[in-house]
Amino acid sequence: MPITHEFEFLRPSSLGDALSLLADRSGIKPLAGGTDLIVRLKNGQDTPSAVMDLKQLPELGGLAVKDGVLTIGAGVTFAELIESPLIRKHYPLLAEAAQTVASGGVRNRATLAGNIVSAVPSCDSATCLLVCDASVMAVSARGERAIPITEWFSGPRSTALQPDELVKCVRITLPEKKTGGCYVKLARYNGEDLAQAGVSVLVDSAKNYRVALSAVCPAPKRLRKTEIFLKGKRPTDKTLSEAVKLVALEVCAITDIRATVEYRAHMTGIMFKRCAAAAFARLEGKGPRYGEKLV
Amino acid sequence: MENLKVVGQSVPRIDGLEKVMGSAQYVDDIEFGPGLLYACVVESPFAHAEILSVNTAKAAQVKGVVKVVTGRDFPDKFGLYMKDRHVFATDRVRFVGEQVAAVIAWDQKTALRAARLVEVKYKELPAVLDPVKAIDQQCCLLHPGLGDYTCVPWFFPKKKTNVAHCRKTRKGNLEKGFAEADVILEDTYRVPRYAHCAIEPHAIAGLYDNAGRLTLWSASQSPFTQRNVFAEALSSLGLTHKDVRVITPYVGGGFGGKAGVSMEIMCAAVATAVKGHPVKLMWNRAQEFYNTYQRQGVVAKIKMGVRKDGTITALEHLLFWDAGAYVEYGANVVNAAGLSASGPYKIDNLKIDSHCIYTNLPPGGPYRGFGYSEFGFGLESHIDRVARKLKMDPLEFRRKNAISAGDILPYGAPMNDNGLRECMDKAAKAIRWGHEEKPSAPNKAIGKSIVLLWKAPAMPPNASSSAFLKFNEDGSLNLLVSGMEIGQGLLTVMAQIASEVLSVPVAKIRVETPDTDRNPYEWQTVGSHVTWSCGNAVKRAALDARRQIFELVQRVHSIDASELYLENECVKCHTKPDMAIALRSFVIDGMQAKDHTFKGGPIMGRGVFLPEFASAIGDPETGQGGKPNVHYTTGAGGVIVEVDKETGKVKILKAVLAVDAGKAINPDLCRGQITGGLLQGLATVLYEDMRFSDKGKLLNPSFSDYKIPTALDEPAEVVPILVEVAQPDGPYGARGVGEHTMIPAASMVANAVFNATGARIKSMPVTAEKIALAINQPEVFAKLFY
Amino acid sequence: MKTEITFRLNGIERSLFVEPNDVLIDVLRTRLGIKSPKIGCDQGDCGTCTVFFNGKTVRSCLVLAIEADGGEIVTLEGLSENGPTPLQRAFADRNAFQCGFCAPGIILSATELLQKNPEPDRHEIQEAIAGNLCRCTGYTPVIDVIAEVAAKKTAGKNRKSR
Repeated sequence: MPITHEFEFLRPSSLGDALSLLADRSGIKPLAGGTDLIVRLKNGQDTPSAVMDLKQLPELGGLAVKDGVLTIGAGVTFAELIESPLIRKHYPLLAEAAQTVASGGVRNRATLAGNIVSAVPSCDSATCLLVCDASVMAVSARGERAIPITEWFSGPRSTALQPDELVKCVRITLPEKKTGGCYVKLARYNGEDLAQAGVSVLVDSAKNYRVALSAVCPAPKRLRKTEIFLKGKRPTDKTLSEAVKLVALEVCAITDIRATVEYRAHMTGIMFKRCAAAAFARLEGKGPRYGEKLV
Repeated sequence: MENLKVVGQSVPRIDGLEKVMGSAQYVDDIEFGPGLLYACVVESPFAHAEILSVNTAKAAQVKGVVKVVTGRDFPDKFGLYMKDRHVFATDRVRFVGEQVAAVIAWDQKTALRAARLVEVKYKELPAVLDPVKAIDQQCCLLHPGLGDYTCVPWFFPKKKTNVAHCRKTRKGNLEKGFAEADVILEDTYRVPRYAHCAIEPHAIAGLYDNAGRLTLWSASQSPFTQRNVFAEALSSLGLTHKDVRVITPYVGGGFGGKAGVSMEIMCAAVATAVKGHPVKLMWNRAQEFYNTYQRQGVVAKIKMGVRKDGTITALEHLLFWDAGAYVEYGANVVNAAGLSASGPYKIDNLKIDSHCIYTNLPPGGPYRGFGYSEFGFGLESHIDRVARKLKMDPLEFRRKNAISAGDILPYGAPMNDNGLRECMDKAAKAIRWGHEEKPSAPNKAIGKSIVLLWKAPAMPPNASSSAFLKFNEDGSLNLLVSGMEIGQGLLTVMAQIASEVLSVPVAKIRVETPDTDRNPYEWQTVGSHVTWSCGNAVKRAALDARRQIFELVQRVHSIDASELYLENECVKCHTKPDMAIALRSFVIDGMQAKDHTFKGGPIMGRGVFLPEFASAIGDPETGQGGKPNVHYTTGAGGVIVEVDKETGKVKILKAVLAVDAGKAINPDLCRGQITGGLLQGLATVLYEDMRFSDKGKLLNPSFSDYKIPTALDEPAEVVPILVEVAQPDGPYGARGVGEHTMIPAASMVANAVFNATGARIKSMPVTAEKIALAINQPEVFAKLFY
Repeated sequence: MKTEITFRLNGIERSLFVEPNDVLIDVLRTRLGIKSPKIGCDQGDCGTCTVFFNGKTVRSCLVLAIEADGGEIVTLEGLSENGPTPLQRAFADRNAFQCGFCAPGIILSATELLQKNPEPDRHEIQEAIAGNLCRCTGYTPVIDVIAEVAAKKTAGKNRKSR
């Protein structure tokens, strides 16, 4: 199925050039991994005047830890995330989520930045970035700004990014305390699928919890009330059963082709319980290995 | 059984190297040069509407567009068993996505762009989407002309209704049977539509040359059937069968979806509109979902009576098939189910009504299992429930009622030899039937089930196969058949049969894919019948060649043919141990006689097979009197599942299928069929299904939302078991197993889930969602699902 | 705007003019005579169009041809100059395919896996080919063969190192 829409192809050699182009012209679509954009071009959902390749920009590459901050360049693919020793060491939760995105041949191209820019409600990386309290560095010809991930998602396929901005990188401050994390994805089967529901939990050794949901609300979000309730507690069955009631209040799912609202609500509770228990067990050096399916 | 050397061996496939090196050619891989055109169709946005006008002017003006055609250009109807279709919709559209026109251009982009410029005005009509309701919907007849359509003599369309065919089968005395019953259970089961999802989408190229010959390169399971349909549908152009040629290279999966004629007719027609230029039509994945045959949905109402001792006294099985907009092929699925919906059981008092109902959804058609998977879900679920109602072991119940050779079939003929009981026992043993298993976690439960299956090839009584083989100078062979290699390994199996007879190694036999100009006739590669039917033809062709060889040796060497045999590519003699005449020394150049002259010449064998004992004609009211099925292949499936009671997730710990292949000509390939078919069947029950909007639009025409299994979804363990109770009229006793591998999966899982959790799901698919809600929120489940 | 691009295709430098909206799979198949990558879904779901792009497997249906400029593409045709690789040989010997349509993609994905991870466990093999849909085999024979080839390779290496 060819692309019938015609566009110009831009390949700026520096980030500066790319930003000037964005500032001067409208209708430019950035191309990183292209795994979302090219499908949309084929289906006629996107009709840009130009497509701008970002892969060759050195400013967008690389994964690094510096001054207690983990930086993930906008050009970093999910395959690179999964294989990165840095990620495995500091935030294995991210690799766990990355492993559930599409499939190998897609992960070799698809980027973390592209995933959050696409911002579908079922976005796999969203809940992990939310519980890691990441921030997104947006750049434009006007300058740079850090957008907290909690303010990033504004609705289905909608974000805080301005038309003249690009994502430069995602930054995550490394935790001072030891953490355990977990991402639980509900899908129709073991193979590649879009999440019917997603839950992430990150807990540190002081029993500070962070909880996030995706696919059961218009945009991925943190569950502050649940976090406050859990603070300082061990995730016993009793505690989690109480907490589930708070989680349920945050679910505003819809019925669609992938699941009914009733099943999503039912599963969100079960997933949250298993996710919290696993995150805590991992914190204590036990629990399921990262990547193991919990539902 | 004779001492076999090649038949029964798991030789590697003869198409192996081509396929793993990327050399195997599929339709879209063929080069047609710079004259190639591309066609793109214009589709209906409505499920049911009158076409008021079609304006092609704007599209025709686009630079690069060569031609725009509409339904008016091709007025003839076509169809395999019932002529109820047009090449392009003419006066009315009957499903969302139906083709209304086609644009032909020099490149695909232009064709796609121009197709958007074709303006069609419609008047929307009420859409009929529910087959049960459609029976009485006099207001919205899809085909007011029903009754005037040409169809096969074993179809009974009902004028002025939406019922295109009803197959009635009656045996014994139903009322008496129910009166004798101690327990009667009645319920309804629902099966949605399914898609084949061969990984190769439909593709076809056609060339109507300036001399008036029409050649098509088609990804097809039925090159000869296609040729016949094309020639008939385009006969107004003066085309005769000899001037229509269908060439079929390798096919990237069929499963029934590439049988008969669906989108291919458009290419054949369009080609005639652009004389002298090859034109290609390729379905994209979405079109593959909504505009090729789909597996029909069905609502099954089952009432069964049993005695306390477990004997089935009566069965009433009413099937309401959602056959879609056109039933030219799908009606035969309905027919096949109507003849066999008793399942492999001896039931003296029986009533089956199988209704083929027009709906405003895409046309239904053949899909691996041909109706048997669909009715099997309800029937085998029901049997488990009846057995449990009697507090009887479901396996014991099946043993008691299973059909045996010689028992009378629903339509009055006797059952063939079969290994059904052996299959049952072996499957039961493999899943440790009766042995309690421990679940891996407290929130999980283990369930097991055993179900039976049977299936006969659904084919016209005079469907035939033929084969032709010729020797080459080095004693190698070219075998020409038109049975189709669709992945099952037909080429290899045919080579093994020829090899067995002629002692030529399989590696020295090339089996040609079909070209209707050159290869001999084959009806279609469907119904799991080609190993049996085409295999018989190949065996006869090989025997014919052998007879010629022996006669030649008799003529030249004065040895009686009865003393000769073939071994290691030589003619040998029982009475002369030293004699060995190499085949290659005479199969082309003839054999030199004592006077130095030569006798004989190229050795060529021919073989034909047509089942001369079959008949499709029975009493329309009872089905009694015909012999519509040549034989049944039987089997038993078993499964061990572990269900997470909180999430409803089902893990297949072990899936077993024992099937009676008669004779496994290539055991590895038979096992390959089981492993592949089982997973395809398991997917239909665990997560696949087609979802339509209330306007009849398919909501999931992609792999994003129509989930077919991945490597991560294989069962933890698959156990294929081959049973071999010979089919007397099969080649070396063989009968087909291709479709049977899919048939038991659905009921197997539904019954095992019940066994594990007590949740009875009566509608497919039996998803985690349904199971979890049925266990944890029964009221919600009852509100949402069936 | 037609643009000239140049890239290495199966070890040979090729140049041609493409439109920005030309997709790599279409260019490979219709203009460069490369037929082993197939079109199965055109949306990145099925893996039949898998090719190596700069050393990694990608879905060539989700790559613009123009992106290949200056890059390197390897398809099944260019996998080995000396006949079938051990993986291809094993696929053929053990009937690890049926219709064959998905075989090129699966073999490339498995090749990449064994390059990166010579001793994969069963789950890693499943993961590696999970993006290659096959409707015929039920996957079990395919996974078995990849596991066997990996085991043989490893055994060979161990023998050498002794």
